[in-house]
Amino acid sequence: MRTLLLYTVTGSVLATGVLSSMQAPAPAAPPAQAQQMPKGRNVNPDAGLAADFRKRVDAYVKLRDAAESAAPDLERTEKAAEIVTAEKTMALNIRQARATAKRGDIFTPATEAMFRRMLRPPLTKGKDGADNKAIIKDDAPQPKEVPFKVNSEYPKDVALSTVPPDVLLSLPQLPEDVQYRFAGKHMILYDAKANLIIDFMLNAIP
Amino acid sequence: MRIHKPLLAAATLAVMLAAGAAAQDLTLPNKPNGTLKFAVIGDSGTGDANQYRLAKVFTDVHQRFSYEFVLMMGDNMYGGENARDFQRKFEIPYKPVLDKGIEFYASLGNHDSTNQRMYKLFNMNGERFYTFKPKDGIRFFALDSNYMDRTQLQWLEKELAASGSDWKVMYFHHPIYSSGGRHGSDTALRDQLEPLFLKHGVDVVMAGHEHFYERLKPQKGIHYFISGGAGKLRRGDVGGDYTAKAFDQGFHFIMFEIDGDQMHFQAVSDQGKTVDSGMITRRRVDNQAAPSQPAAPSANPVPPQDKPSPSTAKPAAAKPAPGAR
Repeated sequence: MRTLLLYTVTGSVLATGVLSSMQAPAPAAPPAQAQQMPKGRNVNPDAGLAADFRKRVDAYVKLRDAAESAAPDLERTEKAAEIVTAEKTMALNIRQARATAKRGDIFTPATEAMFRRMLRPPLTKGKDGADNKAIIKDDAPQPKEVPFKVNSEYPKDVALSTVPPDVLLSLPQLPEDVQYRFAGKHMILYDAKANLIIDFMLNAIP
Repeated sequence: MRIHKPLLAAATLAVMLAAGAAAQDLTLPNKPNGTLKFAVIGDSGTGDANQYRLAKVFTDVHQRFSYEFVLMMGDNMYGGENARDFQRKFEIPYKPVLDKGIEFYASLGNHDSTNQRMYKLFNMNGERFYTFKPKDGIRFFALDSNYMDRTQLQWLEKELAASGSDWKVMYFHHPIYSSGGRHGSDTALRDQLEPLFLKHGVDVVMAGHEHFYERLKPQKGIHYFISGGAGKLRRGDVGGDYTAKAFDQGFHFIMFEIDGDQMHFQAVSDQGKTVDSGMITRRRVDNQAAPSQPAAPSANPVPPQDKPSPSTAKPAAAKPAPGAR
């Protein structure tokens, strides 16, 4: 409970702090949600959180697969217009299927705390940490270039941040075509197939 | 008939300039048979006059050096990616060689949408990373350096282990060694990839991202090229301890010819000038860590053939999320 309360306070402060530097409308802070924590000794406290996160991502992928099946096939083609149409139709279907989706549905308060713990070592320890931060920053989009809004398209004229392998290896593995990306200090859960922002986490980079 | 000499000289110069690459002397062996000829472009997709000027030289030179395919180092499409962009930034500038059936094999840069993998003319076969074997004894690996996740690393390890004693040529967007002032070496990527390259005897690594040409001094026996100046240019950005030869005063592309254990290269500017050329001799390093049992074959193993064709090896099975350990 102490952790959740601390998150609620910290999350509000972080959200307030970042809003002043973003042009995008303020995303509503997600409600704190109770998480089932593993009990007993010698248990990795993050295991349950990681499982919960994975469950939410898997649910999204299931929804995405259904949306994809109702869209024109995204298949190999010489006609770029067909790729664009398939991608946009898939995105539209996903938006309709999760019309009420909001920030925090996947990055819940508890899993956000877990991600902060996981991101700290590869981004703060020694020279590697500094290098990893520099790589994310290199050619990465500024927060004002990316709409911090669930179900928004990622702008095609904005570069995607490079995510260092150390960081990816520190985080829960994602299904194919769901990716972690960054804009400024914020982490985005990105659907590379539908080009959609699924969820995001403010001030993820320590 | 009396010829006006200054006019003739001016006309001759104009023709020579217009000819561009036609005036370019090839330093490559350019053997009619038995070698593998290919070209490399990087950071090309601006759709502006600079890309088109280099593309003219690049496509003209094919009349003299008939490269069989082209590797793309990423940033194939800057800005928008609608159907018109694919035409303006790729299909139109390279039309002369596309019409001849020359195939392009793309890798993804940080400005590229992942769904470029579905664009047939990029020959990615729907994959972010892939391998192909255009000729017996020569294998190429295209990686997605923007997102080097566990799945891709496992796939690479498996494919390298299965590649035997072929020439092994890697290409991807972010250079793991670079003398660039703006970006420099991607050391995090290097930490993951270099051990695999050394373990499995990778010969040559090509990258883009830096908007210049650089051939680096071999690093731990591996040869590195950076070719990120087919549409973008960053003057005065290159040079340092790694540099064997660099060029950042114009746009460029590179031509290669593999002849047995030798790889010849020639980098050419948008003025049709050779900016670097030479030859690499391959180390005979068989995989030191060949598995005791043969690695599982690719989903679509590529038989030896004369024409490049992508392999679509499936990624290795996912392991439990590291966060759950």
